[in-house]
Amino acid sequence: MDVNQAKQEHLLALKVMRLTKPTLFTNLPVTCEDRDLPGDLFGQLMREDPSTIKGAETLMLGEMLTLPQNFGNIFLGETFSSYISVHNDSNQVVKDILVKADLQTSSQRLNLSASNSAVAELKPECCIDDVIHHEVKEIGTHILVCAVSYTTHYGEKLYFRKFFKFQVLKPLDVKTKFYNAESDLSSVTDEVFLEAQIQNITTSPMFMEKVSLEPSMMYNVTELNMVTSGDQGESTFGKMSYLQPMDTRQYLYCLKPKPEYAEKAGVIKGVTVIGKLDIVWKTNLGERGRLQTSQLQRMAPGYGDIRLSLEMIPDTVNLEEPFDIICKITNCSERTMDLVLEMCNTRSIHWCGISGRQLGKLSPGGFLSLPLTVLSSVQGLQSISGLRLTDTFLKRTYEYDDIAQVCVVCPFTSNES
Amino acid sequence: MDTGESHAHRPVTLDITVEDVGTETSAPAPTEQTTSHTPSRNNVLPQEDSIDLGGEFATPQEDSSTTPSESLMDKLNDQMMESVMISDSPNNSEEDDVAPIDSFLDGPESENAGETSGDQEEQSEIGHSTTEIKVSVEKQEEEGMEESIEEDKKELTDTQKEITAFVSPQGDTQSPSDSQSEEAVSELAKVNTPKDEPVPVCTIFSQGTQPKSLVPDGFQPTLIKSPSFSMGSGGGSDGAVTPSKLTAPLVCQPSPSLSKFFTDNGQANPASDFFDSFTAPSSFISVSNPNADIPPGTSPAPIAPTPERQLSSTSSSISTPAPTQTPASAPATQPQPFNQLQAVFSGSDDPFATALSLSEVDRRHDAWLPCEETRKVLVSVATQQYSPAYAETNRLTMPGLKFDNLQGDAVKDLMLRFLGEQAATKRQVLTANSVEPSFNGLRQLISSKNWRAAVDLTGRLLTAHGQGYGKASQPTSHTTDSLQLWLVRLALLTKLNLFQNAELEFEPFGNLDQPDLYYEFYPTVYPGRRGSMVPFSMRLLHAELPQYLAKPQEALDRLHNLKTVCLAILENLEKGLAEDGSMITLTQENRQASLKLWRSRLSRVMYSMANCLLLMKDYVLAVETYHSIIQYEPQQCVQLLSGIGRIFLQIGDVKTAERYFQDVEKACQMKGSQLSHTTCVLMNRAFVYLSQNNYTEAHASFIEVLKIDPKNPVANNNAAVCLLYLGRLKESLGQLEGLVQQDPALYLHESVLFNLTTMYELESSRSTQKKQALLEAVACREGDSFNTQCLKLV
Repeated sequence: MDVNQAKQEHLLALKVMRLTKPTLFTNLPVTCEDRDLPGDLFGQLMREDPSTIKGAETLMLGEMLTLPQNFGNIFLGETFSSYISVHNDSNQVVKDILVKADLQTSSQRLNLSASNSAVAELKPECCIDDVIHHEVKEIGTHILVCAVSYTTHYGEKLYFRKFFKFQVLKPLDVKTKFYNAESDLSSVTDEVFLEAQIQNITTSPMFMEKVSLEPSMMYNVTELNMVTSGDQGESTFGKMSYLQPMDTRQYLYCLKPKPEYAEKAGVIKGVTVIGKLDIVWKTNLGERGRLQTSQLQRMAPGYGDIRLSLEMIPDTVNLEEPFDIICKITNCSERTMDLVLEMCNTRSIHWCGISGRQLGKLSPGGFLSLPLTVLSSVQGLQSISGLRLTDTFLKRTYEYDDIAQVCVVCPFTSNES
Repeated sequence: MDTGESHAHRPVTLDITVEDVGTETSAPAPTEQTTSHTPSRNNVLPQEDSIDLGGEFATPQEDSSTTPSESLMDKLNDQMMESVMISDSPNNSEEDDVAPIDSFLDGPESENAGETSGDQEEQSEIGHSTTEIKVSVEKQEEEGMEESIEEDKKELTDTQKEITAFVSPQGDTQSPSDSQSEEAVSELAKVNTPKDEPVPVCTIFSQGTQPKSLVPDGFQPTLIKSPSFSMGSGGGSDGAVTPSKLTAPLVCQPSPSLSKFFTDNGQANPASDFFDSFTAPSSFISVSNPNADIPPGTSPAPIAPTPERQLSSTSSSISTPAPTQTPASAPATQPQPFNQLQAVFSGSDDPFATALSLSEVDRRHDAWLPCEETRKVLVSVATQQYSPAYAETNRLTMPGLKFDNLQGDAVKDLMLRFLGEQAATKRQVLTANSVEPSFNGLRQLISSKNWRAAVDLTGRLLTAHGQGYGKASQPTSHTTDSLQLWLVRLALLTKLNLFQNAELEFEPFGNLDQPDLYYEFYPTVYPGRRGSMVPFSMRLLHAELPQYLAKPQEALDRLHNLKTVCLAILENLEKGLAEDGSMITLTQENRQASLKLWRSRLSRVMYSMANCLLLMKDYVLAVETYHSIIQYEPQQCVQLLSGIGRIFLQIGDVKTAERYFQDVEKACQMKGSQLSHTTCVLMNRAFVYLSQNNYTEAHASFIEVLKIDPKNPVANNNAAVCLLYLGRLKESLGQLEGLVQQDPALYLHESVLFNLTTMYELESSRSTQKKQALLEAVACREGDSFNTQCLKLV
């Protein structure tokens, strides 16, 4: 390639500069007091320095903009902007100049030039300027291919190309976790919690402008990243919403199936689409980046053949005092079941009523509400366990332990003392 | 989890592919078909998906493994201020349409070749600059050859140990002639006594035209191996060596004291010789700091400096009668009557009154709270239980120059290289030789921006004071002036970005809290005077320094110490005590002046802390600290709030920035319309537009500023920058070039020149010629402290 280069001097010169945002010039304040040897000299020098803030010269961060000093890093989701300048270095007029800028990625080739029409002529010392923008949507090697064709004064058609290679890096590491809030009363609504861990794997601080979950059609989403106090919400991440390099932040979302799907929620099985995360961040002077994850998928929790959920349960009960709970039993299987309910006492939980009672037939998708009475003999947080459902057709027993917790208190303690 | 890349390329909105993890992770589901069914725990077992945002790269590790070379390059680039060109190397340019792009992509070897050759080019350039050590000191500095420096430090400490081991204090204190050259240091290791040294000639007083280096030719000094120093040895290698015979026979005259006129004890002062190593031939004698004598603000009586000084030193002994007084201050009057006296005299031109207020000023400025140990020593000195002459050396501060002279003019070097010898000879800058060797000469050098020469001059003045090259770890005495010289020297080194050098020379000062850095340590020289000889600015400089050497935490620690002392002093003042907590009645006026001074010092410390935090990128604390400065400096409210807004813009938080800018506008309205405030508001608006990628409006706002304030250099520069982003390179260039030509005083600034040279590079292949033209412009105006890197010629 070097040999090629030496072969001919072109009349035109092509220069490319990546336009990242400019930076603010910082100065280095060194001061002394009037009484010191230099007197006011240092102060005077700082006041005369155009890059200092007048009236507050010791403030490091100035207002002077400086152009980007290197190519820097470019990350997926950011916009690649570049200045392309074709300059006529010769002393003759050049005609029919066509500048073409393509971006070659591993999968495609994009044309980025603003115009594809040729410039009729270019006088000496003049240039053709173009600023290209492209939102980077692929990771890995990108090559900016700039091709210039032109006709010389003598009618000779010439052509040259230049390649500028750069790597697009991954800015964020996203990990998700699903929590099925099923074991407690919320099972009524089949809430799903999504925890998204977002890590800044770039080398600069990143302001997270937006991290939102766009739910799929089956769900409504509530963002749990704000604490509402009064009429103003406060972010759980504190006043400053930026991520230092390698910092990770957890975002939490609560998803509720829409009512029309909620009815069937117990029956939905397999993989469900929850939605996708939409992330917008900004860095130096508003350099923007945006990413969306693909659809997040969740394996709906298997409910087995029969799902037992609680519709009603008190949170606090008195010691040795019976209380009522209502269970909901849903047949999630494809067949009709004939169920028998057994209630086994545990160390602390005592069931009232008859164990081994027939619940009757339950068709697929059908459910029944079952009021039950329990009492606890032990104080504290007690787990309700010991329900057994037996399908008499298949002679299969389903065990339900730790269905819910209640807080058992002694009603007398407060009176005594 | 990360192995699902085979599923890749599920097209989604942004062509981001996400691994299909669902099937694997949900494995437990089928097993749950069994009888046992505990819905709670098992099902909550969280599915953890790692979302790979790109289909091409299987794991993040692989990603990073492809990048380190790049990031390294970026780091290098960052420091080198390399060109912005993506890769303009001929390797990537092709004349003919020979190779289809696909082959480019498919052939990793050729890619790598291209890449590495690019790298090599960068590196070779860097390497090039390292060989060019003599030319650019900063460059070497910024390359941060920490290893070698570290080694040097080790060596240094070693050699220092050796020195302390061999030097006997009595032998050395009196004889400046012994001040060792580099050679001496190394020979110390060979158990030579200092007296065996050849007595070298002091550089300062030799009549040679060239300033002399202390380093003999061809001798590689061990102490100063750090790359930034090699310049000194390169520059002045022709010089003869070191300290002087001349200094020895000269009359010793402690410049500030003049104590002998007033101290009634006529006895021979055993320590006086010890102190008076500030020997001065000819023009040196008047080395005193007039600034120190001028009481800022209140009563600047136009009296000749000398009598002032005399009065000041005596009267201070009177007006600050510490419980532990030296006999020297025997005529101690009681404070109360004295204050009345003072009240009578205040405002008059009576020299006596001036002296009184001077002592007030002295006390106010010099106040400091030493650590407990130091305080005990000072008390025992004052009660004459302890003679400073027998102080242990490890409790003494024994500074010395660590490198002799910087003598370099990077501009001239560049001229030699690019414009030829003839052009270079036209370059005329002041050097340490061309000014009178006094404080005035020093000021002249500083104000003409010849800081390197100024550093040299401080070196000479300090050598004359017996704290010259190689004098570290040798007992010496301190005076107000010697410490002021150190302040200037270290401040200039910092300004020149020669941080390692500054750190090295700061080292012997420890934490600036040794007893011999307090006036009380010298009851005969400074009778009755109390407080710190180390100027506050020097403490601040000492505290700030580590942040530039990648030790911001240490800088913060030191700054917090300063803040604590400032707060304690303010508390004392508010309690009605003197600054140091002693029970002295201060007049209301003096108390107010003192409160004002210490509040301003506190706010200065806070500024440094905030700056340091900003450097650490701890934006939360930085913003908090800047915000808290407003209460001390309400008049800087507008600038501070705007500054905080800009910090938010830097992070990318445009909304919060806008909130702060709104506060700025409110503050401006409250203060009434001032020109500076209007420009400030407009400027902020421009920055917001800039952050919204709206360069057109940003440009318009900067132009708006220029309508009000056509000379505003920031707006002019920023408007030009905006033009570039709008694709108007020629206009932008034209504007900047015009500015630099019309008003070089304002626009021959590093940042502007950097922008200009960057645009030259973008514009044409003939950027070098244009840069050379800039170099010529610089050569006519700028001093030797000009940072030539911004010209991007090398």
